[in-house]
Amino acid sequence: MNTNLLTVRSPAGTTRAPRLDPRTKILLVLLVSMVVTGPDGLRFVLPGLLLAAGLALWEGARRRALVLCVAVATMCVLGWLLPLWWPNPLTAIVSLTCTYLIRFTVAIGVGMHLVATTSPTELNAALRAARAPRAISVTMAVMLRFFPVVAAEAAAVRDALRLRGLTGVGAFLCHPVLSLERFTVPMIASSLRAGEDLAASAILRGLGSHRRPTALHPPRFGRPDLVWALLTAGLATAAIVLPTPLT
Amino acid sequence: MIRIDRATWTYAHADTPSLRDFSLTVAPGEFVVLCGASGCGKSTALRLMNGLIPHFHEEGTLTGTVTVSGLSTSAAELDEIGLHTGTVLQHPRRQFFTDTAREEVAFAMENLGFPPEEIRTRVTTTVAGLADSVPIEQRLHHLSGGQQQQVALAAAIAHGPSVLLLDEPSSNLSADAIRRLTATLADLKGKGVTVVVAEHRLRYLQKLVDRVFVVRDGTIDVEWSAAQFRAVPDDVLAREGLRGTVRTAELPTLPAAGPSAANPVPADDVPSGALELAGIRCRLGGRTVLDLERVAFAAAEVTAIRGVNGAGKSTLARVAVGLQRCPGTVLLDGEAVKPRARQRASAIVMQDVQRQLFTDRVEAEIELARADVPGAPDAREVLTTLDLAHLADRHPLSLSGGQQQRLVVAAVRVCDRRIVVFDEPSSGVDRRHLRSISDQIRQVAADGSVVLLISHDEDLIALTADRQLTLTPVTRR
Repeated sequence: MNTNLLTVRSPAGTTRAPRLDPRTKILLVLLVSMVVTGPDGLRFVLPGLLLAAGLALWEGARRRALVLCVAVATMCVLGWLLPLWWPNPLTAIVSLTCTYLIRFTVAIGVGMHLVATTSPTELNAALRAARAPRAISVTMAVMLRFFPVVAAEAAAVRDALRLRGLTGVGAFLCHPVLSLERFTVPMIASSLRAGEDLAASAILRGLGSHRRPTALHPPRFGRPDLVWALLTAGLATAAIVLPTPLT
Repeated sequence: MIRIDRATWTYAHADTPSLRDFSLTVAPGEFVVLCGASGCGKSTALRLMNGLIPHFHEEGTLTGTVTVSGLSTSAAELDEIGLHTGTVLQHPRRQFFTDTAREEVAFAMENLGFPPEEIRTRVTTTVAGLADSVPIEQRLHHLSGGQQQQVALAAAIAHGPSVLLLDEPSSNLSADAIRRLTATLADLKGKGVTVVVAEHRLRYLQKLVDRVFVVRDGTIDVEWSAAQFRAVPDDVLAREGLRGTVRTAELPTLPAAGPSAANPVPADDVPSGALELAGIRCRLGGRTVLDLERVAFAAAEVTAIRGVNGAGKSTLARVAVGLQRCPGTVLLDGEAVKPRARQRASAIVMQDVQRQLFTDRVEAEIELARADVPGAPDAREVLTTLDLAHLADRHPLSLSGGQQQRLVVAAVRVCDRRIVVFDEPSSGVDRRHLRSISDQIRQVAADGSVVLLISHDEDLIALTADRQLTLTPVTRR
């Protein structure tokens, strides 16, 4: 691969890892989501998996690539092989569930690349460059920033519950509603508190204002975008032309 | 530069105003400190100045007028006020919108529509200034509290505001970081920036202030000129609930062996204790975050765990209470205990205690804690001891921050756990509450627990801890 694809010299004089333009990533997420959930969507599941795993490997997230492949393989076994080996109503329900879950898994896999490699400001700038309305660009940027906050708060609440002995399958089965309440109420309360500081700071610094925002690194299509667009086109063609093992 | 004229502000659903007839005038280039006990209204006054009141907190009631740089904050748009003001909130890490110092410094300029070329120039200049004290390429949440503060300050002023507003900037900072903060503020004052600081700790600002205002019950109670303030003795500050000179906690060092210990000793020199960790090597995200050959903590003592961000303080606490699995042995009262068993023997009082309030009534919270504890005291009795009995039927999330913390500490004491961790319990509290928190921690230790106190607050450590264990990042050695 050309070394220019591996390193990008940014205008501010710093070396940045190669990345797709956020608009390309959004397009890939939309495209994969549409084709895998549309009619005959199972045909696109394996190419979608290759794309999601390929993007994960490219960004260095080997574990995610592995988890995606294992998850899809497990669903293939449960959804297609298990009902053949052991046909009964239960495996039929599991099979039907897997034929839908496998599509979402692939779409989420591509979406995870977007979330992991795009900063809120990059996303905002890209959406503005794509002439998306302010309400959408700001909302998406805030969501992207708020996900890690909620994840961190959820992990902390889970830790607190574990220390109080309030977790475990037994506790959940005995009191499912109470267990959910004990988890969600503190999580929402602490997320809102953390979110308030974040929102106040962002609004004070002009996020969501009527001014036209600019960008430190204006979004620009580059060679990585071309390479991945060609790879995606190749995978899509293969999905249409070649026979699919999943039906 | 700033003129507040008889402002009265009541938050939505509040019974009493947070500010009443509050008047203040700050001249261009002046350095002003607003101080007072927790909840006196000083942070609310800052929110008046940056326009968060009434634009962000829309449902309250505001009377009076506020003008900043000639703009009426009620009439102007928030981004217009934001062009003239920079704000640093109490917890810098909570206000970062991006992952890196460069992006954070650029954030306001991008949103305010500065030309990209100008943004790059200013970012390059600002980052060059930060590079001496901040590892620029590191992700922001990996930086120490002091470094995060430096980045937050740089991000607040990169767009060139004439007014800088800081809400308790020294909370969560070590004495060294406070010295760096003082130098940065002195530099800004020299450049003619108008600075307003809401603070509990005051002495570190002594050489910078032009005027100090003591706020009480939402209004200005006392005004000191710079000369008058310097002459005010510490006991007068104490009466006002204020912290004077930042103490440097000098405590005996807990002997510890291994690369994570800042002052390692041979493993054989580490004495026994109620909680012993041996051969702990914890790797997270591909790097070793904690490597301790041997360390032992005594029961009925408070051990302060110190060190910069990334030194492994939280990991050590998580290993001790069984939330983090890693190679090594943990002995409790001489017996090896597995992580799940350690969880049942442990408790953490988190920095944000809202995360650990699980029920819908204060009394139910104590009942839940005492459920599996034979011989636990009656819930009402516990609440009465902690002056929370009159709140027994309230929802825990409706209590003030201090009351929530007392409730969680009460639950921990009722649980009767052997290992108790306090994680930054004094963030942003005044002198009176500091004493109260210290007393609570000491009581937990007096009950016979092994108490680990993670804190940057030198005042709290000096007041509370018996020993200190200073950790250092493994990879930097």
